[in-house]
Amino acid sequence: TFLTRVLFTEATNEAQQGKLESVFKNSEPIREDQIQNAIKFLSHPRVRGSPVIHRRSFLERKGLTKEEIDEAFRRLPDPPPSSQTAVNTQDGQQVVSNVLQPQGQIQAMKPAPAPVVMIPPPSLLSRFRWYHVVLAVGILAASGAGTAVFVKRSLIPRLKSWVRKVMSEEESDPLEKADAKPSLAEEAVAAAKAASAAASDVARVSQEMMKTKSEERKNFEDLMQLLGVQVQEMKSLSNNIRYLERNSNNLPKVYSANQEVYSGLVKTPAERRPYANGSNIDYDSRSARSTSPPAPPADSSQPPHPKSYMDIMSMIQRGEKPSNIREINDMPPNPNQQLPNPRIAPKAKPWVYGQPPQDESSNGPWWQQKNPRSADFGYETTTARSIGIRNETSTTEPAAIQKQRSWVPPQPPPVVMPEAAEAIRRPKPQAKIDQEVVAAASDDQSGVSDELQKVTKFSESGGDGSGRFEITEIQEETEHQHIGQEGN
Amino acid sequence: MPMFKAPFNGYSVKFSPFYESRLAVATAQNFGILGNGRIHVLELSPGGPGVTESIAFDTADAVYDVCWSESHDSVLIAAIGDGSVKIYDTALPPPSNPIRSFQEHAREVHSVDYNPTRRDSFLTASWDDTVKLWAMDRPASIRTFKEHAYCVYQAVWNPKHGDVFASASGDCTLRIWDVREPGSTMIIPAHDLEILSCDWNKYDDCVLATSSVDKTIKVWDVRSYRAPLAVLNGHGYAVRKVKFSPHRRNLIASCSYDMTVCLWDYMVEDALVGRYDHHTEFAVGIDMSVLVEGLMASTGWDELVYVWQQGMDPRAS
Repeated sequence: TFLTRVLFTEATNEAQQGKLESVFKNSEPIREDQIQNAIKFLSHPRVRGSPVIHRRSFLERKGLTKEEIDEAFRRLPDPPPSSQTAVNTQDGQQVVSNVLQPQGQIQAMKPAPAPVVMIPPPSLLSRFRWYHVVLAVGILAASGAGTAVFVKRSLIPRLKSWVRKVMSEEESDPLEKADAKPSLAEEAVAAAKAASAAASDVARVSQEMMKTKSEERKNFEDLMQLLGVQVQEMKSLSNNIRYLERNSNNLPKVYSANQEVYSGLVKTPAERRPYANGSNIDYDSRSARSTSPPAPPADSSQPPHPKSYMDIMSMIQRGEKPSNIREINDMPPNPNQQLPNPRIAPKAKPWVYGQPPQDESSNGPWWQQKNPRSADFGYETTTARSIGIRNETSTTEPAAIQKQRSWVPPQPPPVVMPEAAEAIRRPKPQAKIDQEVVAAASDDQSGVSDELQKVTKFSESGGDGSGRFEITEIQEETEHQHIGQEGN
Repeated sequence: MPMFKAPFNGYSVKFSPFYESRLAVATAQNFGILGNGRIHVLELSPGGPGVTESIAFDTADAVYDVCWSESHDSVLIAAIGDGSVKIYDTALPPPSNPIRSFQEHAREVHSVDYNPTRRDSFLTASWDDTVKLWAMDRPASIRTFKEHAYCVYQAVWNPKHGDVFASASGDCTLRIWDVREPGSTMIIPAHDLEILSCDWNKYDDCVLATSSVDKTIKVWDVRSYRAPLAVLNGHGYAVRKVKFSPHRRNLIASCSYDMTVCLWDYMVEDALVGRYDHHTEFAVGIDMSVLVEGLMASTGWDELVYVWQQGMDPRAS
């Protein structure tokens, strides 16, 4: 009966669950080469200054498993705090210490150091966020103003006096001059380095702040404006450096390095924004809808937004609120309102039986009626095939089912190789092995063994360096297979 | 003729698992940038092709997604832009709704999915980088899954295994989870750009599809996850949602910022089997009915909701 069929299927599912669900775990062994790559990456000084979650995310995008990433972290000389727990709080603290230290360093004229990590109690987290914004804003302003003042007050007058000195004393000792020049240039270099390092740290910090969910719209607005101001000041700073460059031979290398850093930090804030509303660049937090920098729509891969969308975005960036928004109280009027009693029993899903249901004709309401013939989809169907065609449906369905059962890959290479058994024993390049394995599979059509299925899947998944490991397994497996056959 | 015109921009559409003529629509004012939201419950008119609204609920902030309960036929759950998750009883009038509001997510809740096998819990995915597990009768979330490095756009239950789900994130990874495990059980770097949506194959519980800003849909088998089973090209812009058919094993529906809805059969060479261009702005929401084979619905920023049978023209009256 219907009911027993349902119960039986569900019971079978339950029983199989223990065995089947292991497929949802990664069962590959750890790859040592990947761990070595990860360690190199994690040891890089710049990476060490970044939040742990970003480091992990980068490695995950490279295809490393959790176990490999954890192992790499474990093997580092200075083990940083581990993965999942309290990541946000760590980010917060690293941000604060990153920001604090360059401030001191500008005076000492050294490049920015590694951060000091502290973990605050979780209860202070929300307050810390607010703190961070104020702190970052203050320090941004201070460092920018500080460097600008430093340049204006000390560097430029020094340069002017040097120039005057050179012009007025033509017979002065060339060595002295040479000495004066490098030290001035050195100071300029060091100042530029410190300023840019501080700027990159500070900019990185502020980028992270923005990303980590500022809830105050006004604060975000202020931060963005200050950043713009800082960008201007950095521009004028690099202009000053360019001026120095023309008068000195020592600077060009440093200048180009600064330029990279500068362009780097202009780029990164724009990249990390939710794409969910179609624009990669427009804005980050929705509470900050008010103010992200205007998106430069030069990129052709950006979908064209509706005009009214752009209108609203620019309205918000100006600080205006659309007038059609109402004050709505959408809180539950009765928080203790009971859940209703269900009126209908849940219906079994069509896939519970394991096979798609047969296509039934229905004479019911309009939403049940299907078009038995090929339909015009509106414009541009790439092929004449239409899934509304009944005949096609019924003939392709059984074929599809059969395909699934034997798990033959969609496009098996058309080969019959009598020497396959012999050939497979000999080591060969990967592509060849794939063909032969599949050929062996198709030779043995009657009751394809689970082992060969698994083997076929391995060969399919080839891919990156991990493919090599899997191919060796294939050789062994098929050898066993053939030995078994010959033994009969 | 368009089937239903909403006052706000459409974000999501879901068929009821109990009533074949019922569906819910999530909408947001001002494209969801800033403004109110509204949930519409629509009924297909039995007389002829047409859709009417039976009830609507206003929200202070945008509604990004909605889903029906699988245990209570009149209950739906909404994912809100202010980070709240609200529960509505469509059998009660709007002034008596919502019946619950959970404020836990720190940022916009982007999707909500109800467990189709256990029928007792649901998942929410948020821009605060987390996925949360809830039960309707509990005052707080049961678990928070915090691993993604960026916004989580969708979390979807496996159709056969009641404890397994997948999540799609802007950190470019697809993660497989088991609620009985402390963390994710698989991490698949599925795309080079943000992953906006994912869905499981209803007939092959190890297969799932992802859709991305990179304009492609990829189909994956968790048993050999280092390379996809198929890469489906054809959309002109980011693919916003992807959905496996409840009735056809290899059929996938997708909608994109290129304003089209497409149908794919990932097991054939020429995978694109259908394309609908009825929307005049971003097509953002799509669903396939579990109760009526071939019945589809879509919505978009053009404020329109269409319901049609696969072989038909959505605009035909």
